[in-house]
Amino acid sequence: MNPVTASRRHYEDLAVGEEITLGTATISKDMIFAFAREFDPLPFHLDEKAARDSLLGGLAASGWQTAALSLRMLVDAFLNSIAAAGGLGFSDLKWRRPVMVGDTIGGKATIVELHRSRRHPEWGVLTLEMDIRNQKQEPVMTMRLSNLVEVRDEEHAS
Amino acid sequence: MTRWFEDIVENETFPLGSHTFTAEEIIRFGKLYDPQYFHIDPEAAAYSHFGGLIASGWHTVSVGHRKMVDALDAEGERLREAGQEPGVSGPSPGINGMEFKSPVRPGDTVSYTLTVTGKRSSASIPGWGLLFNRISAINQRDELVYLADLVAFSKLRDYRMPLRLRLAQALTRLPGFSKLQRR
Repeated sequence: MNPVTASRRHYEDLAVGEEITLGTATISKDMIFAFAREFDPLPFHLDEKAARDSLLGGLAASGWQTAALSLRMLVDAFLNSIAAAGGLGFSDLKWRRPVMVGDTIGGKATIVELHRSRRHPEWGVLTLEMDIRNQKQEPVMTMRLSNLVEVRDEEHAS
Repeated sequence: MTRWFEDIVENETFPLGSHTFTAEEIIRFGKLYDPQYFHIDPEAAAYSHFGGLIASGWHTVSVGHRKMVDALDAEGERLREAGQEPGVSGPSPGINGMEFKSPVRPGDTVSYTLTVTGKRSSASIPGWGLLFNRISAINQRDELVYLADLVAFSKLRDYRMPLRLRLAQALTRLPGFSKLQRR
């Protein structure tokens, strides 16, 4: 038994259809610049003039920053309260609208699939759909994310 | 590649360079964006099936993105030095798939490679094309770290805007247009 996750919800405690309400994050100019300098130094994430002239039409967060902040919301609202055992990846990530400076993002995650790992009886695979929106309730990012979860009782969990 | 869309060749492969991950930066990224115990706490991480600290997959991927941006810049610089006008890379509409294959531990060196797997002109944004890029990341033991299928906008060089669109664009530049639009 893993002492770190022993008291958390395990695979057996999760159900398809469960909806997790995520917290929010407000994106400041400093946050956009700091992330862009390290991971996405394209002119339209680093310079307001270049941003206005770009397809984005103004200073916007790197899509990777939106993704990272959404992940943080998921960890705080959900992954740190279950026996999560690492991400497997994601699919169909769509940046539907740019996240502009001053926007507040939030949203929900829904459990859409649960199955046991074929090769590893100690794990289940959890699939979540993330729906991230801005303060006007316009969708900014959606994706489907898969994560491993520890099984409490390897013999009996279905 | 800050090349024009027309000059990008399908199946061309670009090495993007490598990055060595330190425990310090793994923890720093983890605390900001992915504070699960195996990304931020080496002692607690020992109880996980990883047996120790590992980088958030999103960290490995964000570094891969940085490597790609640097390669685009270098290609643009190369063209400028050769006396050519470089192309324009645009934002990305999304990622079709991302598979995390093996964990990245402190001290691991990850090498990134980009392959253009396809391209077509955009149906929704005139004057731009879509590039389908695959990034593969491997570690110093030649193990696959992740595989990503990305989509990116790239500007067309040989695009002439249809008259209808040029008129519409001229209209938006008339004084008072934005006020009118807000109503």
